[in-house]
Amino acid sequence: MIEISDGAAIPSRKDVGLFSAWRIAFAGAILILVYLAVSKPDPYFKILRFIPDGILVTFQVTLCSIFFSLVLGLITGLGRISRNRFINSVASIYVEVVRGIPLLVQLFYIYYALGRFVRLPDMVAAVIAMSLCYGAYMGEVFRAGIESIHKGQTEAARSLGFNTAQTMRYVIVPQAWRTILPPVGNEFIALLKDTSLVSILAVADMLRRGREFAAESFAYFETYTVIALVYLIITLMLSKLVSLLEERYSHYG
Amino acid sequence: MVELNPIIVMEDVCKFFGSLRALNHVSMSVQTGEKVVIIGPSGSGKSTLLRTINRLEEIDSGRIVVNGFDLHDRRNDINKIRMEVGMVFQSFNLFPHKTVLQNLTLAPSKLKHLSRNDAESMALGLLEKVGIQEKAGAYPSQLSGGQQQRVAIARALAMSPKIMLFDEPTSALDPEMIGEVLDVMVNLAREGMTMVVVTHEMGFAREVADRVVFMDMGEILEEAPPQQFFQESSHPRAQRFLSQIL
Repeated sequence: MIEISDGAAIPSRKDVGLFSAWRIAFAGAILILVYLAVSKPDPYFKILRFIPDGILVTFQVTLCSIFFSLVLGLITGLGRISRNRFINSVASIYVEVVRGIPLLVQLFYIYYALGRFVRLPDMVAAVIAMSLCYGAYMGEVFRAGIESIHKGQTEAARSLGFNTAQTMRYVIVPQAWRTILPPVGNEFIALLKDTSLVSILAVADMLRRGREFAAESFAYFETYTVIALVYLIITLMLSKLVSLLEERYSHYG
Repeated sequence: MVELNPIIVMEDVCKFFGSLRALNHVSMSVQTGEKVVIIGPSGSGKSTLLRTINRLEEIDSGRIVVNGFDLHDRRNDINKIRMEVGMVFQSFNLFPHKTVLQNLTLAPSKLKHLSRNDAESMALGLLEKVGIQEKAGAYPSQLSGGQQQRVAIARALAMSPKIMLFDEPTSALDPEMIGEVLDVMVNLAREGMTMVVVTHEMGFAREVADRVVFMDMGEILEEAPPQQFFQESSHPRAQRFLSQIL
């Protein structure tokens, strides 16, 4: 299976050399950032002092959306493999609809279009839209992960007397978790990057703070250079974290 | 077996896979403590028959009563019935994310709410019985096939079942490992466990079985004590099968 996603590449466990792509990109990004901040504090250091509030918001939106999309994804994934026609249809339709609409349009829809009926706080609308969108993606990942577990595992568990839910909980999901960790990690990283879209909804994330700074100072080039480097550093750290997690779950053959 | 106390009763069971008739009006019963060995060519329905006994296969018609409970009566909880029926698979199906010890303790601790200590000491006792207690902390992938199958038997025994079902337990094993698994099964038989075994190991059938059941094309063609079956089998298809494998 060839899988191309827009998440950052997760460093392979074998890729540990001093000159691995991950290390070069990570060290390079930090060195350039430090060099710029030291050699030309105005505007680079100023920008760096201006955006941390935004980084915090980016993290908040990311973490909340990861949490809810994981929950939604697990429910959707289980729904997609359910033998109950109704549950299966609901889950499938949800996935089809969400995957067919661009995330930016979903954000606008939940924030502006539904704003006619309910007024949601910016942050809440952002998290709802991100979670709904990524819940569908994660649902597909969970479904594939659960389906990758051999049928014999289910039969062994059922023959011991476990019911369907217990079989999922004690036998299937813990094993599927390891299979889906890399693609789920990829989704996390893609999600973090996509949170930059919420800057459109007056959510003061990192990109929004950058735009505010640039609009005042007209230092567009400098501002977006810093923003790009900070995003890169964060996603590289996250991809490292995912690969460490993968290692933790590789203790059995 | 003289004691007439059937623990498994199958009456007129039919099972289709699409248009294929996997079980064709099969009736059979197994007494408590009896050892029944089912043999037959591949595709004869013997594994399907075995798997209907704990309802891993649904049947299309007929009736199966296990331990006094009708498997297809909605009032009976199939999960409760399955706790009393251990099953050993051809491909072991150990839980790869659990250690050997955890494979044994998972079901008793979650389903019977055994304390950790009780579950572990019981599990260690069973591992000793199958001769593999030194591997308690290993993961299944670190064991040989024969060791995995012995763990799988111990895992099934951990629920203290009244019946043990074996679905070609040695077919996936290298020849040199078959003996160690059969030894465990022979010992289990001597302890009086009720066993239904699908196998190609005729030596095991001769030594252990109270009754040999010969199946072909979804039907039971012959049932006889092993002596009688192997020496004076009357059915031509059984004779042909025996001449091919002996």
